[in-house]
Amino acid sequence: MTRFIRRYAAFARIAIAQARRERAELYGRAAFFVVILGVFSSLWRAAADAGLPVAAEPRSLVWYLAATEWIVLSAPPIHLDIQEAIRRGDVVYQLGRPVSYVIAEFASALGLLAFRAPLLGLAAFLCAYAFTGWIPPLGALAIVVPFGLAAAALLTALFLWTGLLAFWLQDVSPVYWLGQKLMFILGGLMLPLTVYPEIVRRIAALTPFPVVLGEPASFLLKDAMVTPGALVRNLAIWCCMTALALGWIFRRARVALTINGG
Amino acid sequence: MAAPSNGLAFARALVATNVKGALALRGAFVLQVVFMALNNFTFFVFWWVLMRRVTTLRGWQIGDIQVLFGIVAAAFGLAVTVAGGVRHLGRFIDEGDLDTLLTQPRSVLVYALGIRSQPSGFGDLISGAIFIAWSGQVSWRTLPVVVAAVVASALIFVACGVLFFSLAFWLGKVESAARQIWELLITFSLYPEPLFGGLIRLALFTVLPAGFVGYLPVRLVHEPSLLHAAVLSGGAAAYLALAVLVFDRGLRRYASGSRFSTFG
Repeated sequence: MTRFIRRYAAFARIAIAQARRERAELYGRAAFFVVILGVFSSLWRAAADAGLPVAAEPRSLVWYLAATEWIVLSAPPIHLDIQEAIRRGDVVYQLGRPVSYVIAEFASALGLLAFRAPLLGLAAFLCAYAFTGWIPPLGALAIVVPFGLAAAALLTALFLWTGLLAFWLQDVSPVYWLGQKLMFILGGLMLPLTVYPEIVRRIAALTPFPVVLGEPASFLLKDAMVTPGALVRNLAIWCCMTALALGWIFRRARVALTINGG
Repeated sequence: MAAPSNGLAFARALVATNVKGALALRGAFVLQVVFMALNNFTFFVFWWVLMRRVTTLRGWQIGDIQVLFGIVAAAFGLAVTVAGGVRHLGRFIDEGDLDTLLTQPRSVLVYALGIRSQPSGFGDLISGAIFIAWSGQVSWRTLPVVVAAVVASALIFVACGVLFFSLAFWLGKVESAARQIWELLITFSLYPEPLFGGLIRLALFTVLPAGFVGYLPVRLVHEPSLLHAAVLSGGAAAYLALAVLVFDRGLRRYASGSRFSTFG
């Protein structure tokens, strides 16, 4: 077991070292916080002026968005690397290594996540504070941070699953974009799910998206969507289902590759 | 020097070849088109939910947002379908992939832009057209104005892409950062203009021209006038000229990748 962990921890360490050298994307993502929180603080003010009931507390909504965006932006877009490796045929060389391709990619992505999450978290905190002039109760922040990290790891695994679809689709961007937009709505990226019609909330409950975004971030609102205990249970369920889905799709991809060639 | 008509014929041939290439993988093509269109409609659910609760947002109604969405989606779709290479320009420059194009008797920039086509762009084009039709703010009489607005917006998208990704000539590996700046342009252009004021509004008509990509085309569609048309076409021409200038300057600094490869 220790050998297993050590082996894949090496992938994570290499990814961290690379991320340290290539910080441009991270700065870009931090700049995105400034933009998106600026846009939405303005949007929520406008919505409050227009009488949107939920916008009675625009500052809570800005912090909610800061938390959901922190989770989304911290998860590395690993599907792009996997897609490129498959398109170029490089994946064939990686499959020959004496390690699991999927676990190695996931370990690298977790390394990136470990590097990005603290810096982006700081950017989110500072931007949200700058736009609202208010800080939520520290107890709520203390709950959001660990759940946010776990949710970002689950999201990374979902990106990995999306990337593996490139074995069949060549370009997984549309699947990624669709997943991202579903996450916007069914996860409650911009608006808490409580604002959406009942039917949307029911559909959302059948997907992992609320567990990834809305539920962890809702601790920053007056009424949280779930209790911490329920969120632990939901995260565990979706982590298991994602692991099973990853194993299944990778087995099918290997078969397809063996039959069709790289 | 090649005549402009030759250049246009060349660009047309590139697009035709790309479309044929995309259609060769028909299943993947259809999937990408459908998924992209679904993606755009899914994103719009946010506005649908919000505007059900507030009918106007600083003077903007749901129909105005549909026109904005439609124009930006169709313009982006047109840009990545015809000039899909723009998204890869940073990597071409950084990894020395322009080598093969430099030996061709055609404009390197036109070749680099037209060498790839994004099939999902058709999904953007289709969903853009549906958003515009759905808004109820466009008639057959104003259709030419809508088409002109979409084309101008697409040209600015391409010009901005060239500008941002050409930074690779000076800064090296900037693809993801340039891509993010390009996506910021899209992000800003999808929100109603009255949300932004002061310095941000100034930035949105200069360094990050979401104003030219989304707001001005919408104004042109709402109130067709020579002034709006002149400002929009002037803006498109200026950004295109700047993009060509910056790319040409950068090309002088370009370092070969010493690659022996075929392109396509």
